[in-house]
Amino acid sequence: MAWHGDQGNPWGGRKRPDVEQTLNKLRQAFSSQRLPFGGRFGLFPVAVIVIVALWLISGIYFVAPDEVGVVKRFGKAVRTAAPGPHYRIPYPVETVHRPKVTQVRRIEVGFRSVGDRGTNKSRAVPDESLMLTKGENIVNLTFIVQYKIGDAMSYLFNVKFPDITVRDAAEAAMREVIGKNDIDDILTTGKFQIQQDTKDSLQRILDIYGAGILVTAVQLQDVHPPDQVMAAFKDVASAKEDRARMINEAQGYQNEILPRAKGRASQMVNEAMAYKEAKIIRAKGDASRFSQALSQYRLARDVTKKRLYIETMEEILPGMNKIIVGEETGRGILPHLPLPGRAASPPAPAGKP
Amino acid sequence: MKGKSFVAIVVLLAALFLVTQSLFVVDQAEQAIVIQLGKPLEGTYQAGLHWKIPFIQEVIRFEKRILLYDSDPTEILTKDKKNLLVDNYAKWVIREPLTYYKSVRNETGAQLRLDDIVYAQLRVELGRHTMEDIVSTTRNDIMTIVTQKSDELARAYGIDVVDVRIKRADLPEQNEKSVFERMRAERERQAKQYRSEGEEESLKIRAAADRDREIILAKAYEEAEKMKGEGDSQSIRIYGEAYGQDPEFFEFYRTMEAYRKALKTETTLVATPGEEFFRYLDGRKEKPAR
Repeated sequence: MAWHGDQGNPWGGRKRPDVEQTLNKLRQAFSSQRLPFGGRFGLFPVAVIVIVALWLISGIYFVAPDEVGVVKRFGKAVRTAAPGPHYRIPYPVETVHRPKVTQVRRIEVGFRSVGDRGTNKSRAVPDESLMLTKGENIVNLTFIVQYKIGDAMSYLFNVKFPDITVRDAAEAAMREVIGKNDIDDILTTGKFQIQQDTKDSLQRILDIYGAGILVTAVQLQDVHPPDQVMAAFKDVASAKEDRARMINEAQGYQNEILPRAKGRASQMVNEAMAYKEAKIIRAKGDASRFSQALSQYRLARDVTKKRLYIETMEEILPGMNKIIVGEETGRGILPHLPLPGRAASPPAPAGKP
Repeated sequence: MKGKSFVAIVVLLAALFLVTQSLFVVDQAEQAIVIQLGKPLEGTYQAGLHWKIPFIQEVIRFEKRILLYDSDPTEILTKDKKNLLVDNYAKWVIREPLTYYKSVRNETGAQLRLDDIVYAQLRVELGRHTMEDIVSTTRNDIMTIVTQKSDELARAYGIDVVDVRIKRADLPEQNEKSVFERMRAERERQAKQYRSEGEEESLKIRAAADRDREIILAKAYEEAEKMKGEGDSQSIRIYGEAYGQDPEFFEFYRTMEAYRKALKTETTLVATPGEEFFRYLDGRKEKPAR
């Protein structure tokens, strides 16, 4: 088959079994008659018809729902075929490729999944994951890219090694985007934008190559500072916490003392109010008492005054120590009397009315 | 009869053989040239079925798809004298198979040429920019220029350079360390700032709270004293009005009351019978000394 030029060509397998089959049948047909030519010639045309029929039947092919058929005639791509049964001129005239166009492919950058899917084990690839940000910081970042075949024809015939191409372009695109972003944005709020920008950039690059690839998603996985500076970044986070805590504590203090002060203030005001009211009422009481006494006093001044004086004396004298001395003698001994609590209560002269 | 058909079969096979030697298929992903007795002929064959002269002409196939040139990472000095470890790749395609075949012969040869061309261009162009430019701002422009220049130079080999792209531009290990140091210092500064901000805020809030408390208490004091004053003044007025009716009687009346309170106990009274209350004790005087 010199014309096929099958030098590690990734396609071109499919129809080989048919040919083999055909040849085998041919060989069997001949060997059963023991003679390749001659003998009972009547069977020869029949054999030819059978062979031709088999050859023609081998032109039927099926395209699965997740595939697109691309038909080449003598190597040249001539048409595509949607899922379902189709016919082509059999090998060696036409051949079919059936790439899986709905299958979403995935590449991992910065890490590789280890073992089965779902085990979540992975191995880091620091060479891929460490990248420079704006302002010459370094961030440690892993991501995945999901893509599928957008245009089967382009995918098959425009770029060699399409999967490696996606990986290389994805790395270039991500680093380009990261280089334009600040490390703080990358670590916090910028993730969504970075994914979007990278996806766009990657798609643009692949379109330049005409790769026929559709990038469906770029997803950041782990984004964190490099291990060497992790502690410092964590300390910043805890410093933020500290700040919040200090403020909370201060607010707690505020909430504690202000209501207390308000309570105290209200207490003071109420006390003063009580003082005021009491004082006035008491004054009124005193005044009323005095006024009443006065009105009676005015009716009989002398007698009332005396009576009041005597009553008072009567009332207060029983509790007192009393020393009564003669007018003349008294003066001489007075200073020598042992007076209790002299300092505190000097002798009170009985008042004169 | 047997002999005849035998001959027929042989002729048929020979013809078939001749046809297979004369026909060749070029795949969609390929392009081909034809060599006649070692000498390449003009013309490129695209995908499809083609004729050639059997035995003396030979077909050579080339990739038509975009190919990858991936170089090893190299250290490059930027304009601001910083080392940068650059890993780039280039996408290229065989544009003129004949020229390509004559000059580099195959992909291995082409890769070697591209190594020279792309690396040199990249080195020159990156040397014109600062690291900040390369990493952040003008990366795309640099790559566009390198692509264009490489493309011009590669044309001599029948090659189109479609795209040169910096896959990675990282710092060499020893420079990485100093970056980490700087990052750490920056973060420490931030942490300190957050903590002092916290302290600042906290002190502010506490001071404001203390201030508010003092003001609240002082205002309450003011109000309280004012009220007490009112109480005092009103009571004074009431007393004044009442007692003013007869100051003399007031003095007497109030004194009596004061005696009652002040002199009741713990008091020693030294009295002489001559005095008012004790006047009658003596019995000498009929009348009070008035």
